[in-house]
Amino acid sequence: MHPRSMRLIIEADRPVERVPSVLRVRPAPPPPTGPGSQAALALEPRELWIAAHVPGLPLAALHVAERSVPLVVVDAEDRNQRVVAADARARAAGVRVGMTLGAALAAVPDIDPQPRHTARELVLMQQLAGIAATFTPLVSLEPPDGLVLEIKPSINLFGGLRELCRRLRDACLAHPVFATGECTPHFTLAPTALAALAAARAGARCFITDPKVLPARLKPLPIGVLRWPEEENARLAAMGVHTLGELMRLPRAGFARRFGPAQLADLDRLLGRRADPKRRIAMRERYRGSLDLDHEIHEHDRLLRALEPLLAELEEFLRARQRGITSLRCRFRHYRAEPTVCILRLAQPESDATRLGSLLRERLATIALPEPVRRCELVSGALTERPVASRALWAPGEHGSAPAGEMPALVEHLRARLGAAAVYGVECVAEHRPERAWRKKGTEGWGRALDEARSLLPAKRTKEERAHPPVPFSRPLWLLHQPEALTVHRGRPHYDGALELLVGPERIESGWWDGGDVQRDYYVARTSTGARLWIYRECTGVRAWFLHGLFG
Amino acid sequence: MSTPKRQLDELLAHPSLWRGRSRAAIATVSTGYPALDAGLPGGGWPRHGLIEILTPHPGVGELYLLLPALAALSRAAPARWCTWVSPPHEPYAPALAAHGVAMDRMLMVRTHLPLWAQEQALKSGACEAALAWLPRASPKAIRRLQLAAEQGRSLGVLYRSLRFADVPSPAMLRLVLEPRTAANTHGARITLLKRRGGSREPIDLDWARAA
Repeated sequence: MHPRSMRLIIEADRPVERVPSVLRVRPAPPPPTGPGSQAALALEPRELWIAAHVPGLPLAALHVAERSVPLVVVDAEDRNQRVVAADARARAAGVRVGMTLGAALAAVPDIDPQPRHTARELVLMQQLAGIAATFTPLVSLEPPDGLVLEIKPSINLFGGLRELCRRLRDACLAHPVFATGECTPHFTLAPTALAALAAARAGARCFITDPKVLPARLKPLPIGVLRWPEEENARLAAMGVHTLGELMRLPRAGFARRFGPAQLADLDRLLGRRADPKRRIAMRERYRGSLDLDHEIHEHDRLLRALEPLLAELEEFLRARQRGITSLRCRFRHYRAEPTVCILRLAQPESDATRLGSLLRERLATIALPEPVRRCELVSGALTERPVASRALWAPGEHGSAPAGEMPALVEHLRARLGAAAVYGVECVAEHRPERAWRKKGTEGWGRALDEARSLLPAKRTKEERAHPPVPFSRPLWLLHQPEALTVHRGRPHYDGALELLVGPERIESGWWDGGDVQRDYYVARTSTGARLWIYRECTGVRAWFLHGLFG
Repeated sequence: MSTPKRQLDELLAHPSLWRGRSRAAIATVSTGYPALDAGLPGGGWPRHGLIEILTPHPGVGELYLLLPALAALSRAAPARWCTWVSPPHEPYAPALAAHGVAMDRMLMVRTHLPLWAQEQALKSGACEAALAWLPRASPKAIRRLQLAAEQGRSLGVLYRSLRFADVPSPAMLRLVLEPRTAANTHGARITLLKRRGGSREPIDLDWARAA
């Protein structure tokens, strides 16, 4: 063991004696040492975090390009009107961040105070997070001016840690906001998110992959990087604690008692002794693409060909994010007529340009273009998780295989052309009234779940089916959309001649409670030509006869 | 002498070759009615290809004819799907389920373009069987469907009116279904109009006697 950390433990042990036992039990498994000591040594480098901190974010977010006077950004919400950012010229003239506006004006009379624009700052950080998300799925915003991303799993993909960092940096710096060079984001790498962030806020060079050296490297950083409340920092300063190193040397129990467990937890997270789960940002992005056509197009085929580059771009966009879309909106602009809108809805997330193209072809075939198209716009719906499916070994149908993707593909194909309502499944409902004993079933999310659950197993009978096996020939195979009134001659129902009643009556009387009151006597009847019908006679009113089904 | 004879036999045994009276070796699924199985080439409905069922009007047993096969196909593992393109009425789910058909494998398509939808269903390879009710279809269109069925390895079933019995059709199996008028029977008489081998005699079926 390092002699220095030995000394730390000895120092830390002494004050612990004095704390009440209640407090001593609180910091659990690691032995009661100083808040920052060698406990982190046992940690493997399980995670690697890159933090990006944008100093002077309020300035960058204002998008002020050319200016003749020094610029400062003032927090309008703050009563004291403190300066939150100042450009290089203002800083050279003596303006410091944290000054009140009055003090800044006294130092430099001709400065240009601008109110802070927090919404734009957030947008800028979200754009940066979007760039970062192309490197790793775990990107988290640290408001207001930082973001962290976990890159350990992506290292191999991007050809090594240094290459990844270089590419991330280049991608972020390519953002137009940083073109002026006024403010640039600062990047750091560390085994914990908070350590990386702290180093980035301090503007320190930090490229640590080894958790063992983390405490030593964090020592010189000022305590302000933890962004604790002002009064805490002031109290620590009064105690002579100015750096993280001095903070780590404080006895753990005493520290928790004086500053509260939240601050102790922060220190534990800083050194990786405590898990620091981060909230992954949800990308609410859409694909938007547009294309001005060289010449006006009226034919669907040529229009689809013109759309191909946009669809390819969309596919690339989706593949980079490993996402799929379930709806796609196309707008075709004409010279005079209102734009034609064509919306494609899909049964399952899709990202393949060829598939989308063929579905769009079907959809377009149903739409008449009033005028030639001058411009196309493509807007995707929300991006959804696209389950990555393995390709089937056999071709569809070969060796009796049923690839999971085929049914949704067919459903989408049919729905694209015929409309969503044209394609549906049917299911049984436990109900006595025949017209309510079945219902239509949408096809959303249908094929997949079914195929996963069932395709390898023969379909099973449901519990209900097993308990009450239905009698095969008691119900017709065809049910009429609307019962058809039968003519009656001499008291006997007729349908292509007099009907011979074979089975019945079967009384179905139900539904008085929900408005669909039914009181009917059902019969199986036989026509003169030998067809079997399912007819009923109303038990109320004029006791009319109706045809309700066919034993097809 | 034996060599050319054997060569000829080999040639004649080729599955894609059929002669008027020989039974072609094709993959089939049992119809569920032993009498019909005996009369059909290969002993059942073909697994891949197009069959045409001609009826005087709906409700004469055109579904009962197919139900046992449909139930077997939909409950087989791994089951593909079954589409119903523009059926004349609503298929009644409880009755179909009572006959053993797995309803969650059935897909209804209501369309004014039945030919197109049927071709897509057959071609996709997602369907075990695709049933379609066509008001009219040219021999050329039926030829397309036959090719699509072979491509997607599906069983295509076309329900057409008896009026078209005299119009030639490229379907691999054509049969006429007429209800039996005798009292106390619930069945039909099947006449095979076109088949690759098999019997010419009318076959009488009783729906309740499915195997």
